[in-house]
Amino acid sequence: MGLINYNIEKYSPKQLVIIPLVLLAISLVMLALNFAATGMPVTPGIDFSGGTAVTIFSTDSKEQIQSTFADYPLVDVSEGVNEGKFLKFGSMDDTKYNDLSTLIYQKYPDASINQIGETFGKTLQSQAVLAILFSFIGMALVVFISFRTLVPSAAVVLSAFADMAMTAAAMNFIGIPLSLGTVAALLMLIGYSVDSDILLTNRVLKRQGKLNDKLTGAFHTGIIMTTTTFAAIGAMFLVSWFGSVQIVAEISAVLLIGLVFDVMNTWLTNVGILKWYVLKGGGK
Amino acid sequence: MNTKGLKGFISDWRIALLLVLVVLSVIAIYPHFDEEGRLASNLQYGLDLQQGAWLQLDMRAEVVGYTTDRPLEEFISNLSTSLDAEVLQVDANHLEIRKYYSQADLESRFVAAGGQVTSYQQGVSKTTADSVKRVLENKINSLGTKDAKVNTLTGLNNVVRYIRVELAGVDMNQAQEIVGKQGRFEIRIQTTGNQTEHVLSGDAITSVQVPSQEPPGSDNWGVGFTLSESGAAAFRAAAIQYGATADPANHYLLMLLDNETVYSAPLSDDLAGKIQNENVRQLFASTGSGNYGSQQATNLEIHLRAGALPVDVTIAGSGGVSAPLGERYKQMVILAGILALITVGFVIYYRYREPYIVLPMVLINSSEIIILLGFISLIGFQLDLPTIAGLIAVLGTGIDQLVILTDEILHEGKVPSTGLYMKRLTRALSIIVVAAATVVIAMVPLVLMDLSTLKGFAIITIMGVLVGVIVTRPAYGKIIMQVLSK
Repeated sequence: MGLINYNIEKYSPKQLVIIPLVLLAISLVMLALNFAATGMPVTPGIDFSGGTAVTIFSTDSKEQIQSTFADYPLVDVSEGVNEGKFLKFGSMDDTKYNDLSTLIYQKYPDASINQIGETFGKTLQSQAVLAILFSFIGMALVVFISFRTLVPSAAVVLSAFADMAMTAAAMNFIGIPLSLGTVAALLMLIGYSVDSDILLTNRVLKRQGKLNDKLTGAFHTGIIMTTTTFAAIGAMFLVSWFGSVQIVAEISAVLLIGLVFDVMNTWLTNVGILKWYVLKGGGK
Repeated sequence: MNTKGLKGFISDWRIALLLVLVVLSVIAIYPHFDEEGRLASNLQYGLDLQQGAWLQLDMRAEVVGYTTDRPLEEFISNLSTSLDAEVLQVDANHLEIRKYYSQADLESRFVAAGGQVTSYQQGVSKTTADSVKRVLENKINSLGTKDAKVNTLTGLNNVVRYIRVELAGVDMNQAQEIVGKQGRFEIRIQTTGNQTEHVLSGDAITSVQVPSQEPPGSDNWGVGFTLSESGAAAFRAAAIQYGATADPANHYLLMLLDNETVYSAPLSDDLAGKIQNENVRQLFASTGSGNYGSQQATNLEIHLRAGALPVDVTIAGSGGVSAPLGERYKQMVILAGILALITVGFVIYYRYREPYIVLPMVLINSSEIIILLGFISLIGFQLDLPTIAGLIAVLGTGIDQLVILTDEILHEGKVPSTGLYMKRLTRALSIIVVAAATVVIAMVPLVLMDLSTLKGFAIITIMGVLVGVIVTRPAYGKIIMQVLSK
């Protein structure tokens, strides 16, 4: 792509990795702080903490909605575009919940309701944490098996880890909760993030030619890959955001954030480590 | 391209496979206009895209690992009395307790009964879960609800804690009513001819056992059940009054569920004699031998329970989408998919400026989605919002890999000779295979873990990657070679 003129050649490995490493450190601190505050690195949504989520389309104002549900543990009302309103309730007992759902159907017959019990949420949460852990380990194994050299493989795994950590920190920052959908997005990100890393490593280690040429070539291919993915997910985000399809909007937002970090981690972190490895003679 | 070239092109196995799969997929999806002239297809939609409700039930029971130095039967019956619950053996080291107890509570009771708890897990065995599933399905079917799904969520260790019920076309309150509803069960006795008299109703049955063979190992199947004290007295009084004890053959006992006869048989001579003398609480309804008998016993068990589940359940989660909202979501995601494809097309065009490359890329990408949708309709899988997000994400990775292929082959903008071409294609495919393997591995935990709706997302993503690596990428490699050698 002609617009982007990024000259990898110009920078030393140390210069390349410094920015992402600082960002990674900040992200990890943010995640740790959030962990201390909520018990999870990313603030869990109702899928994991339990509660009731309601989507309605109505011209009623936030205040009107709050007064309608004054008797119920209404935690949050947020507004999408096109009159979409997202209500969140805390946990309540079965009778209270039945009253609530009757009231909702009465006032807003077209509402969508989702309720997750607290214990069920906890089960889902521990499963989700395990799933992310296993996915990550599985990905690392595949990478190590396919490259069979420590430093380049470790660079790919580190980049993927940095992608996830930074995206998770960004989720806290923007206020996207961890839900079943966003867990799926984070796992998807593992796949996306290694795509360009593997291309880069493969080009550098298995092709003939000058290092800088190979890096530039890989960058050209890599950036167009990320741009196309970004375009596809971006379209999905816009439509779901305007259409107030909350879960899809959240999934695509997480993927978009992750892709931005992926560009940085591939073309700064991974390139930096790989360049250092080749310059000290590891590539031969 | 001349006719001969075209023929050779299509008969290439990669292209042929792709074309065949696309055609088969379109047949499987079967897009058509229904009677009202609306576009319809074989695709099934999940509950977030059509009106419906789901309930997630939490089973109030536990599977416990144990050791004991007592004889097993004595130990189980001790426990059963002490816990006032049915206790079933799952396997050599595990018992199922069909009532909720905390781990600490169970530990002390196990010690009192002469054993030890070695592991504790909430849920039921797979067998029990299947019977819960059958009961729920029966109940839903008997109410004529058209589109229902009951799924158990099995943990990694074969203990099932949650069961998910999905009902299309109803709202959440109706769904709860349907699942909570019990049938009316009744035992009647034949008096003279076709006349029958009421003996007792379902509430007199205190417990129902799982189908068993009587005597054990004989292949004669049936279901044991227990009557309450007053139920047993009523049963004996009726049997004596109408002459069933003296002349069993002419006084059949009938079981009815919602006024339909589900079982009918005479008292055995043995039992007739026993009932003449005393109240009998423990009864056994035999259903015949072999597979037929065992099947009948399974059905009878459900009928005897009259829609009551073998374990108590609480609602762990529930939800529902209204018809207009589902319709709106459906339109939105279709729009998102189409828009994503168009945007991708523009980006690719901006990069390569060559319709002969852009067109095959976009077509290959669309064919991938068509094949996936075909696969989804074939296995009767439900498209829900996360799955569709997965599909669009697959579209994203798909195009990524086509870019890798194109760039590897077009290295330094020179069109390669056939030998060099194959070398480059192989190298590009090897990059793609590694990338694909990581995505598959990353998704496997979700398939195994049953994180409710995410299972579908994971299966679709894995399928998408496999279709890509096995079918569409090699086909694209072939197409792009034809294009470049022109």
